[in-house]
Amino acid sequence: MTKAWRYTGLTLGYLLKTAILIVFVFPFLWMLSTSLQTYRETLSYPPTLVPAMPQWINFAEAMSAGPFLTYFKNSAIVTLSIIAIQLLVMIPAAYAFAKYKFPGKNILFSLVLLAFMIPGQVTFIPVYLMMADWGIAKTLLPQIIPFMSNAFGIFLLRQYFMQIPEEIVEAARLDNAGEFKIMRKIMVPMSMPALATIALFSFVSHWNDYFWPLIMTDAEAIRPLTLGIAMLRETEGISNWHIIMAGNVVLVIPILLVYLFCSKQIVKAFVYSGIK
Amino acid sequence: MKKKLSMLVTMTVMTGLLAACGSSNGGNAGAENAGNANAPSNAPAAPAEKVTLQFWHSMGGDNGKRIDAMIQRFNESHDNIEVVGTFQGGYDETVTKLQQAVASGSAPDVSMLERAYVEMFADSEVLEDLTPYLEKSGISADEFTPGLMGHSYFNDQLVSLPLNRSTPILHVNKTLLDEKGLAVPTTWEELEAAANALVVKENGEYTRYGFSMPYDTWYPIAMISQAEGTFFNEDKTSIGFYDNGVGMKVFSQLKKLQGTGALYYPPSTDSGNIVNGMFKEGKVAMVYQSTGSIGGLASAVDFDYVTAFLPKDKVFANPTGGANVSMLAASENKEGAWEFIRWMETDPQGALPFILESGYLPFTKSMVESQEMKDLWAKEPNRKVAYDQLQYAVDTNNDVAWPEVMHEFFSAIEAIMYDSKDIQATLDTFKKEADRILAD
Repeated sequence: MTKAWRYTGLTLGYLLKTAILIVFVFPFLWMLSTSLQTYRETLSYPPTLVPAMPQWINFAEAMSAGPFLTYFKNSAIVTLSIIAIQLLVMIPAAYAFAKYKFPGKNILFSLVLLAFMIPGQVTFIPVYLMMADWGIAKTLLPQIIPFMSNAFGIFLLRQYFMQIPEEIVEAARLDNAGEFKIMRKIMVPMSMPALATIALFSFVSHWNDYFWPLIMTDAEAIRPLTLGIAMLRETEGISNWHIIMAGNVVLVIPILLVYLFCSKQIVKAFVYSGIK
Repeated sequence: MKKKLSMLVTMTVMTGLLAACGSSNGGNAGAENAGNANAPSNAPAAPAEKVTLQFWHSMGGDNGKRIDAMIQRFNESHDNIEVVGTFQGGYDETVTKLQQAVASGSAPDVSMLERAYVEMFADSEVLEDLTPYLEKSGISADEFTPGLMGHSYFNDQLVSLPLNRSTPILHVNKTLLDEKGLAVPTTWEELEAAANALVVKENGEYTRYGFSMPYDTWYPIAMISQAEGTFFNEDKTSIGFYDNGVGMKVFSQLKKLQGTGALYYPPSTDSGNIVNGMFKEGKVAMVYQSTGSIGGLASAVDFDYVTAFLPKDKVFANPTGGANVSMLAASENKEGAWEFIRWMETDPQGALPFILESGYLPFTKSMVESQEMKDLWAKEPNRKVAYDQLQYAVDTNNDVAWPEVMHEFFSAIEAIMYDSKDIQATLDTFKKEADRILAD
């Protein structure tokens, strides 16, 4: 009886997991499928799922529609710089908020949270005008500078740092370790899962960002991949979805690769924070 | 993993920052060249002053390539002007970008501008009056197709000229109509009869609808003009299809057709593609859709495909769409900017090849009379129908407040077409909102 119940439970679990998996994987498969179809196939109704004859040429066509190497380079520079600078700013900030007592700490932390709550759409015009005023509108910097600190990251990392026992930090101090050494040798290694999570979230959101670079850039030379792919769309008339989807596949590959490498750390981050 | 990650962090800090600085220099150099034509680094031996013009446009995909080709033709034929064309997103995004660029003083010299937004920019006095330039070049305003000039004038100033213009038209699967012995409908009554005759219902589900239209304000506006209403009233203080009952008539007609399967009204997201796909597969027999789709549909369908005027109620009428081209008043190279506009509008090597290939409407007399256009129309009569329909073109939604009123109109369309809200009550609310916006 109990055995039978357990099997039903297991089966039910697998069924549910499969269902959820399909929900998440299906859009990716559809994208992949469309990227390999012909123009006429993309217009079929009901849509075809398996292309009659994979059209690899779509990828070549998408990539030759603009300076995609430049776009790719720009995306990589912007995203990696943002992550690097964010980590540099975030770790000391979170450390200070987690382990120090100083006057005005709560007010400062509320300010960080406030920054976390204001969406970019509210501030983009003044930010753009400021960047134009500084004369850096034609560079990659307007895509990087506004994201140098990551309020959500500081918040998450502070929670994580607070779980690291005070005794470990004190022991290190007794052994004459400076604050930077404590951060580097204790805080960072002990919160790798959290750092990986924050870095990945940051990577995905900035790699995929469309709105901000669209607002901040006027010229091809400084545009990222997302804008290059948007350019594959027709403004009126019928879009070549097979070409656009080929572009999208190229866009998501780096994300999937990074995710493959980071997924273990992310799972750890959530498990660890759950145990306390 | 830990080591790798910290290595990655340090490495990316170095390379990322260096690279960012590096390309920032590159970007600056480009900007200087653009702004300062005399920069010593720029022209090693050329004595003539070469000016660089910025041209913003909204054309992606194949049409984007055609625009690029046009710019290249211009640059090759003009030694002292270099036009740099940049895609700035769709029509709405280009508008947003222009607004902020005007504010920050980094606006381009020439820009494509979706026709319904022309008034808004002209009202802020950022568009150059092209009248004197037109006179100087000896071009008469009569040269331009009248139906496409509805958005060109603002306070008697010529603030934009047509470029990539379209209009809604009826696309017909003639094979299906022939099977039923139906003629291509020319009136609302004929459309209703034909659409109902084409409906196929199997096991309580529609497998074929009569006709369809994308989710857009364009098509209801077309029907409003066909019933002799106007979108805004004459002095632009209110809407022009409420008191005369035209709005009620249009939406009652749509709801009636929707109820019998004669009309398939698509979901709002990606409605244009859904409608095109269903048309291609014979799931709808006719669609109201932009002339911009003619080329794409013709190459995708297997049946006898024809286009026709949008069916009339009291009169034939259709709005226009697409974009115009404008010169920004802040441009420092107005002579060069005008040369580019003049060349696009009137040179046989200008916008004409783009128009021929893309399916947008010819906008000058010489384009219409050109041999290339005649040849094309002989080969593709569907394209000629689109141009012929322009004699009934009428735009009644031109006002500075249109973009704002448009959002309210979309809400009204959603309430009626999707939620089957009471038509009169919905129009009451819409009128109130529109009056409020127009009063501001």
